[in-house]
Amino acid sequence: MFGYVRPPLDQLPPEEQERFRRAYCGLCHTLRCRCGLPARFILNYDFTFLAILLSGGEEPETRCARCVASPLKKRAFCGGNPALDLAADESVILAYWQARDGVEDHGFLKGLRYRAASRALWGSYRKAAAARPEFDRVTREQLRRLSELEQTKSPSLDKPADAFAQLLSAAADEAADSSLRRILHQMLYHLGRWVYLMDAADDLKEDAAAGNYNPLIYRYGLTDGAWTEESRASFTQTVDHSIRLLATAYELWDFGCWTPILEHTIYAGLFQVGKAVLSGTYRAGRTGQKKDRNVEETT
Amino acid sequence: MNDPYKVLGVPESATDAEVKKAYLELARKYHPDNYHDNPLADLAQEKMKEINAAYEEVNKLRGSSRGGGSRSTASYGGYSGSYGYGYGGGGSAQQSGSSVLQQVRMSINAGDLSRAEALLTNYSDHNAEWNFLKGAVCYRRGWLDEAKRYYETAAQMDPGNQEYRQALEFMNGASRSAYSPRGGFGTELCGNSSLCQQLCCTYLLCNGCGAGFWGLRCL
Repeated sequence: MFGYVRPPLDQLPPEEQERFRRAYCGLCHTLRCRCGLPARFILNYDFTFLAILLSGGEEPETRCARCVASPLKKRAFCGGNPALDLAADESVILAYWQARDGVEDHGFLKGLRYRAASRALWGSYRKAAAARPEFDRVTREQLRRLSELEQTKSPSLDKPADAFAQLLSAAADEAADSSLRRILHQMLYHLGRWVYLMDAADDLKEDAAAGNYNPLIYRYGLTDGAWTEESRASFTQTVDHSIRLLATAYELWDFGCWTPILEHTIYAGLFQVGKAVLSGTYRAGRTGQKKDRNVEETT
Repeated sequence: MNDPYKVLGVPESATDAEVKKAYLELARKYHPDNYHDNPLADLAQEKMKEINAAYEEVNKLRGSSRGGGSRSTASYGGYSGSYGYGYGGGGSAQQSGSSVLQQVRMSINAGDLSRAEALLTNYSDHNAEWNFLKGAVCYRRGWLDEAKRYYETAAQMDPGNQEYRQALEFMNGASRSAYSPRGGFGTELCGNSSLCQQLCCTYLLCNGCGAGFWGLRCL
C-alpha cells in the first residue's frame, strides 16, 4: 500500500529537495531513537509526507549528525519534535500491521518474508503501540474490516477504500488545533482513499490473472484485468475527485515552509503517479526494483 | 485584524492592479463553488470573509491616502455568497415530498450523517428523492463513487428535476471546475510521459551513499 505518495522532486528547486531530504532523514533518526534500530527500515516517502502534514507548517530546528547512510560527513536533518514523534509511532504501527496482514494473506513459504518483517518490527511496534493505543486500535479495527470486505468480494470501491481512508485519517486525531484536526482528517481520508484505489489499479492485471480479490474487477466487471475506456474514465473521475477534496482541505491551512513541497505533490505528483499507474508504466518503470517494492510491502 | 497585505499575500509596494490580481486569485480559490457540499465549507467561508475584509481595507487605505474619492473596486459581493449545502436549509430550499425526507435534509445540513442514514434506511419508498439524498450522504462521507451512482439513479427517475441534474453535473465536471494554482487539474491531463517516467525511477535521496542506504533497506 506504500510507494504512491511522493513529491515530484525533479520539479522542485534544490533548496526544496534538500528540505524534503531533511524531513526524510529527520524521520529516520526519530524512528531509530523512539522505536529502535529495526524501525528505520520502514522509512519511505509516504511516511515522510505524513510527518510533513502532521507538522502543520512548523519547521523543526535543524540538527547535524553522522549516520549509517552518511558515515563520514555530518548531514543536516529535522530535529525531533512532537509531529515527527507522532509520525514515527504511527508509521511503525501501520507497517507492523501491514506485515501481519501479509502473513495472513500468504501461504507458509510466501508468508515467510512477512513473518520475518513482523518479527523484526515486534519490539518497535510494542513501544509505538504503547505510546498511541488509540491509533493502534483503529488500525487493527479497519484492517479487520478491510479483510472481511476482501473475503466477501465486495463489489464496492468506496467500502474497502473507506476502511483504509479511515485508518489513515485517524493519524490526525492528535492534532492540537481543532481546525487543523478537521483539515488533516479530510486530507488524510482522501489521500488514503486515493492510495487504496491506486494500489488496486496497480495490482489489477496481476490480481485478475491470479484470481485474487480486487474491487476494480467486481465494480467494473474487468475479469481480464484490462481497462475499458468507460471504466477508466469513471475510475479517473472518482480518484480525481478525491484529490480535489484533498486539495480544497489543504488550501485552508498555512503549511508554512512546506507549502512548495505539498503544493507540488498534491497538484502534480499524485496525478503523475496516477497516470503512470493507469497506463501500466508505474511498475514497469521500476523494473529491477521489483525486489524493493516487495520489501516496501513487507515493511 | 491581521495585516491586510499579508492576508492578500502582496507587499505594501504592490500596484493596485497587483493587489486586485492577488485578491481575485484568492477569491477563486475559496469560492463557494469550490467548496460545494464540502464538510469544510465553514472554514472556507471564514477565509473568504477575511480576504474580502482585507481587500476592502487595502482599498480604503489607498483611497484615503490619495485624497479620498470612492473607488469602484469594492469586494465582490457574489464571492461572499452561499456556502450552504442546499439540502433544505436555506431560503431557496427544495421542498421534500415527505416529512421524513425533509428531516433527512435537515440532518445532512446539520452534519448528522448517521441520523440521515438511519432515516433513509427505514424509508421504504426508494423514489428519486430518496436516491438523491442517499447520494448526498455518500458524498459527505467521501464515498464518491456511490454518491455518483445514486445521483445518476435520481436523475434517471426524475429527468426534469434541476437539483438532481445539477448534483450529477457537479460530479461529472469536478476536475474541470477544480481550482489549481497551475491551471490543469486531473490525472489524464498529466501529459508529460517522460516526467512521469523520471518520477517512477526511484530517486535516491542519499545520493552520495545511496547504495549503502538502499542495501540496508533491502535487508
